[in-house]
Amino acid sequence: MSSSELLQFLISGLQSGAIYALVGLGFTLVYASTGIINFAQGEFFMLGGVLAVAGVRIGLPLPLAIVAAVVISAGVGVAMERIALRPRRDSGALVLIIITIGVSMVLKSVARHAFGPNEMALPAFTPGPPVLLLGAAIDRQVLWIWGLTLVAVIGLTLLYTRTRLGRAMRATSLSHDAARLMGIDTAGVVMISFGLAAALGALGGAAVAPLTQTAFDAGARAGLKGFAAAILGGLGNPIAAVLGGLVLGVLESLSVAFISSTYKDAISLVLLLAVLFLRPQGLLGKSGREKV
Amino acid sequence: MKTRRSVLATVLVALLMAAALSGCSGKGNGGSKAGEGGDAPYRIGAIVSLTGSYAGLGTPEQKAIEMEMKRINDAGGINGRQVEVIFEDDATDPAKAQAAVARLLEQENVIAVIGATGTSQTMALRDDIDRAGVPQVSMAGGSVITAEFDKNVFQTPWPNRIVVPFTLRALKDRGLVDVAVISDTGGYGKDGHDLILKGATVAGVKIVADETFNPGDTDMTAQLTKIKSASPDVVLLWNAGKEAAIVAKNIKQLGMAVPLVGSPGNGRREFIEGAGDAADGFRFAAGKILVPEAYGEGTPAFQVAKKFIADYSFAYGVAPDIFAGHAFDAFLVVTDALRRIEGEATPASLRDAIEATDGLVGVGGTFAYSAEDHNGLTEEELVFYRIEGSTWVLDK
Repeated sequence: MSSSELLQFLISGLQSGAIYALVGLGFTLVYASTGIINFAQGEFFMLGGVLAVAGVRIGLPLPLAIVAAVVISAGVGVAMERIALRPRRDSGALVLIIITIGVSMVLKSVARHAFGPNEMALPAFTPGPPVLLLGAAIDRQVLWIWGLTLVAVIGLTLLYTRTRLGRAMRATSLSHDAARLMGIDTAGVVMISFGLAAALGALGGAAVAPLTQTAFDAGARAGLKGFAAAILGGLGNPIAAVLGGLVLGVLESLSVAFISSTYKDAISLVLLLAVLFLRPQGLLGKSGREKV
Repeated sequence: MKTRRSVLATVLVALLMAAALSGCSGKGNGGSKAGEGGDAPYRIGAIVSLTGSYAGLGTPEQKAIEMEMKRINDAGGINGRQVEVIFEDDATDPAKAQAAVARLLEQENVIAVIGATGTSQTMALRDDIDRAGVPQVSMAGGSVITAEFDKNVFQTPWPNRIVVPFTLRALKDRGLVDVAVISDTGGYGKDGHDLILKGATVAGVKIVADETFNPGDTDMTAQLTKIKSASPDVVLLWNAGKEAAIVAKNIKQLGMAVPLVGSPGNGRREFIEGAGDAADGFRFAAGKILVPEAYGEGTPAFQVAKKFIADYSFAYGVAPDIFAGHAFDAFLVVTDALRRIEGEATPASLRDAIEATDGLVGVGGTFAYSAEDHNGLTEEELVFYRIEGSTWVLDK
């Protein structure tokens, strides 16, 4: 195998990996402030894509359509927290997680009826031939996805470490009661994390749609891969989610290169399980008691 | 620590549930109970994929059948009786397809079943169909449906065992002999893949690479990088889903100057829209409905297709694709057989009447079933297409 081919496999892995990472970030955000897994996260990825396409179809310019899709999805995320989760917030994690599964089904069915069953295409953000790097080709849209992932992870890290809101989010994840006693508006923090997570998922969905097309059923698979990325990296930490996504993508791509494309999903999931056996807290998770 | 572990356990449980429940959004369409009697409507069941990855195929199928049902009923029905079609959505899931057929047979007492949309879903109906002895007309293109012969099961699309050799010969005729295969691991892709490997030597082409992807995959550059290093003359893609457009785009992204050839499953507008300019030059074999002139002006098939295209375009505002055509044909096969039955129609007499179909002109071809052949189509019905300027043209 030539070095340019190897590089192409790596790029291909980082391309899928960045997509997984963007979805994984949303899982991480919600987990960090509530301690639950939001299984509707994949549906926000879907909403971002289909709403952006719908915006373009009604004549909005592409950037505006994407912004509108992200804003609307964030609104749906906030509404989901207010309407479906908050009334049952004292019911324990299992109930809340099952509610998120229910919400994901509702969102998927509504999208199926509103946007139809067919796949929809979004134009590329910056059309043009692929960029060549040492004999390997990178689609311009992939550069956008990498850039957005980078911006998202830097932004989230700064948010967690440098802002009052970030500190409030971390405090809320440790103990809702203690945080509330310290004067933190925990309900507001949880709502904001759902909104942010939905916005991130939607941004990912819109950025990926020009490469893969999108459809009402795009969310389930994206959610599963993003969840795997977040678990692999270690829940609750944005850098870990991104690392988990990239590792997962590269593993899949290298399985195709060296073993077999038929078994690439099986191989990457077996490796994921192996990592979880050896490091249940994920690659970057701290093995001690609490994060922070 | 303890709470975190229990959260993780909770999460795993939830994940399993999510996997089990995913795609649970199917919705049956219960028909109104009709009285049993001499002029009660004929009840026909139809199992289509309205959700899941074949939703884009099953939806036009349902539309075509609904349109034809209305046309026949408005014209007074068949033998003076109305026709009622009861639709079930299988959510592109074999298990749901099986549940749907059980309901249609036991509760709705249908006289025939049209469906399913996909190959795996079609095969899932077989045990119930055999037990009830009700004829089934499938709209899926897998060879296995009629190759594993069943006296109750018929098929309207051109199966892979007809399309694959036709396609391989078309490649050979164009001097494209080193073939790289890329197919999905679903029922249709795997069926085509196995036939391609089996038929390559006979057709005089060589398989130089053989890669697969899973339904729902969003990036095939890794597989295509491997294919690229095998320097094939042509990439042959076997897939009926939305992944096909990604393959076309990935080939362009990798700068591969190699032609891409697909299957009848790619004869959809969504493929052209999804692949954009990467679709230009894409070639595939399919029936003649995409360019009706291929039937030959004035032939009976041309008349049938022209009327169907006009009716469908008028009713729904878009031209029908090949899947609408398969559904039109399936409904036509059943209703034509009903017309020919003398006396009371039973599932058994309807099955015999369908098997006696001979020279029935549909949009997918001229159907002639026999006791040995429940597909009834030949290569004569196929033409080779090329995508040019976002539309289909004949590739001579």
